[in-house]
Amino acid sequence: MTIELTVNGETRTVTAAPLTPLAEVLREELYLTGTKQACGEGFCGSCTVLLDDAAAPSCLTPVGMAAGKAVRTIESLAPGMSELSPLQQAMKDADAVQCGMCFPGILMGLTALLARQPEPTEDDVRTALSGHLCRCTGYARIVDAALSVCVPAERGV
Amino acid sequence: MSPTAIRADLPRRDAEDKLRGRTRYAVDSSRPGMLHAALRRADVAAGRIVRIDTTQAQAMPGVRAIVGAEEAPGRYGVGIADHPLFATGEIRYHGEPLVAVAAETLEQARAAAAAVVVEVEPYDAHLSMADALAAEAREVHPGWRDYEVLHEGGQREGNIAWEASVVRGDTDAAFARDDVVIVTSEFTAGRQNQAALEPRVCVASYEDGRFVLETSTQVPWSVRNNTATLLGISPSAVRVVVPAVGGGFGGKFEVSCEPFAALLARASGRPVRVAYSREEEMLTSVARENAEIRIRSAVTRDGEIVAREAVVLLDCGAYGGEQIFLTSMTAHTLCGNYQLGSVRLVSRAVYTNTAPTGPMRACNGPSATFALERHTDEICAAIGMDRFAFRRRNVLGDGDLGSTGQVFQGDVLGPMLDRMVALREAGPELPPADGRLRGTSTVVGMWAVGVGPSAATVNVNADGSVTLITSGVEIGSGSTIQAIPQIVADTLGVRAEDVVVKAADTDAAGYDVGVGGGRTTVSLGAAGTAAGLDARRKLLDVAADMLEAAPEDLLLADGHVSVVGDPDQRLTVAAVAAHAQDRVGPISGSGSFASRREATAIPGCAAGHMVDALDIPIFAVHECDVAVDPETGHVEVLAYRVVQDVGIAINPRAIAGQIQGGVVQGLGYALHEEITIGEDGQIRQRGFESYRPPLVKDVVTVHSDLYEGAPSYGPLGAKGTGEIPILPVPAAIACAVADATGQQVQRIPLTPPRVLGLLLDDIEGPVDLTHLASDWRGNVLGDVEARLAAAASY
Repeated sequence: MTIELTVNGETRTVTAAPLTPLAEVLREELYLTGTKQACGEGFCGSCTVLLDDAAAPSCLTPVGMAAGKAVRTIESLAPGMSELSPLQQAMKDADAVQCGMCFPGILMGLTALLARQPEPTEDDVRTALSGHLCRCTGYARIVDAALSVCVPAERGV
Repeated sequence: MSPTAIRADLPRRDAEDKLRGRTRYAVDSSRPGMLHAALRRADVAAGRIVRIDTTQAQAMPGVRAIVGAEEAPGRYGVGIADHPLFATGEIRYHGEPLVAVAAETLEQARAAAAAVVVEVEPYDAHLSMADALAAEAREVHPGWRDYEVLHEGGQREGNIAWEASVVRGDTDAAFARDDVVIVTSEFTAGRQNQAALEPRVCVASYEDGRFVLETSTQVPWSVRNNTATLLGISPSAVRVVVPAVGGGFGGKFEVSCEPFAALLARASGRPVRVAYSREEEMLTSVARENAEIRIRSAVTRDGEIVAREAVVLLDCGAYGGEQIFLTSMTAHTLCGNYQLGSVRLVSRAVYTNTAPTGPMRACNGPSATFALERHTDEICAAIGMDRFAFRRRNVLGDGDLGSTGQVFQGDVLGPMLDRMVALREAGPELPPADGRLRGTSTVVGMWAVGVGPSAATVNVNADGSVTLITSGVEIGSGSTIQAIPQIVADTLGVRAEDVVVKAADTDAAGYDVGVGGGRTTVSLGAAGTAAGLDARRKLLDVAADMLEAAPEDLLLADGHVSVVGDPDQRLTVAAVAAHAQDRVGPISGSGSFASRREATAIPGCAAGHMVDALDIPIFAVHECDVAVDPETGHVEVLAYRVVQDVGIAINPRAIAGQIQGGVVQGLGYALHEEITIGEDGQIRQRGFESYRPPLVKDVVTVHSDLYEGAPSYGPLGAKGTGEIPILPVPAAIACAVADATGQQVQRIPLTPPRVLGLLLDDIEGPVDLTHLASDWRGNVLGDVEARLAAAASY
């Protein structure tokens, strides 16, 4: 069936059964492959997108339930040629990235955190990341980079 | 040496696209008309295939091709060609592929795969090495004698897929000395799933009579060659291209889904994607093997190790795979590190009816080092010697013999231990006591660079940029995308960012062993260096003409060629390359690398080894502080410290990133990544609900110190830095938990129930290795007496 979605500010019409995972529609129909689907069971966080500004696992979200909500994917953080978001820039500056598969989900999760809580503590950051699996980095730089954006007073330029 | 490219924390060129979600991994690849594939896998662990009928499946909606064993006549393997693509005649593990289906949608492919009729006469399965080694046990490979032998020298018999052994010195006499204490320890270690976030995935097409495989692999050439072997075609009919790889960790060091995709693409005439689900990854990845280890030492009261003997069983699962080769490595991982007066070791890869295991980051290093270092602490307890002092006294130093008689160069581990003391003293204080049991440990470990053939081509373009063409793939560590261009830039005096890295393509670049074994920076880096120097020579010849100077009077740096002593006489590299292009043709350099085979074992010491001496060993010292909750058995790591031998730190920040990531992966193996096998032979952990890699709240920031200057013939003296960070971690954790609890720690992973069991009167009891003969000789094939007698003289 035809479903109307708002994805990264644009209205998109997709043809999919309403129970199809949103992640699959984003990846296979809209070619927004930045969203990953590493486990498909809601445990790894790689498919995290924003639904009306809240982080959600798109692999467990039926596309029918995303209709009428604003879907934001990693591609929206720095669209086109625009500069990296402060969070993306901090990850780059910290040399945090290795294989990169987890970062789209992590960035969306942290973007949601910062939107509702601009000055989180380290514990808040770790809690926000607790549903995200990164197999490469050991997390330390991701946490540090996130905190460098979160708390300007502690950035220590 | 250009100061801009070496020892420089240069940023990764692939980070920005990865952060924007733009990087296209193989799993993101899609083609017009692409079909999706599913495998029908065995649902018993062992049995005879009575019938496979695909008639019904063929007629299912959307089905475009079904292929099976008759399309893939070959067998591949490491050492022994024992592994067919599809189960042929017999099923050897739960999950073994039987048939592959391609259809318009994944759902259709899965439905058709499920509709394939499979009749099997089940056998009793060997689910443990004890089962497989029992007297009169059914052979997992009844035809093993007829398999093609790809590497001579290993002892084989029944379910012993491969045996390697080491004998040096008169062990019998040493164990019989009346001035020694004899310490025996037994250990088991579990499996570990690589759990790369990108699964094994391939999009294949069949074009002009050749297979084009876009795949997520660490080993493009191995995929090319083994796909050809399995399909019974020429290797030149296979082209492998590799985009960014979303994590490897060894799980992509072997051909996997590619031949299925290839066969289906040929049969259907359409591009085909095979992408393993997370469940398939959990059930069939070539996980780190489970191991059983007995180690016994004779030690004098003042701490001299006069004899050591060991028996190692590595569970290779249904097929030998990389474990065949890895039996070579226990000589170094288990009987390395320390000076030994005499040694005898047997290491066996054992066939079982379980999913094949394989190489994971540092392979058997973590389990062997766990056993070695726990044994070392038990020795210290037995002779009443300080654990640090014992290690400082006994670690290998300059001129000392390794287990196979190799003479080690340089004092490395000793000074590294001293550096660890300094790192500890400079570190933050531990949190105050809180009622939990505190423990600490210092452990050593060794691994090696997997030297082996590599090739590189370097084009110097007329715009001053350089194109680097190798079969290196970028799996996330940064070695291919960052370290190698840094090295090549150094040879040509250009900026690292001016070196363009061509993605791996077996049609474009020469042979390479693959990205793994800590070899990338060394082997591909050395080939890149040679290619860069070749291009440099040509560039300087042209520049010499242009500047009317002798080539040896020219300096190449900062993107310019200048005349020594006359800095005004200079040209840009671009100008020279453009001039060359016009007059003598474009400048290109080629280079290659192979092991120098500098290190040698004493003849007769090692049998069945594919590597009997280590050209470039790598050492590490790890330390940790833990707190064990006596109520729950939970182990919290309070602090973790690493001193790592790196040769030269080409990109120190990138190395520190490897150390943090590797240590954390090791914490998972040591503490909570557990794989168990059910009575049906299936792995019980089917996803991340039950299989638990570390999450952010499980980890600490690792404090590390990079030790430079140990010998290496790698480029600029480099060593591999990505594998060894995981190697000593289970040892460090297990020794610290033993210290905290006062219990003998014999098993990993140290899950909370297991640790609680240790605290509650050792509920699990001692490890049962009664399937090993109590006399070491009883665990060795061939004429062991003759070898021992000969070894007494060297």
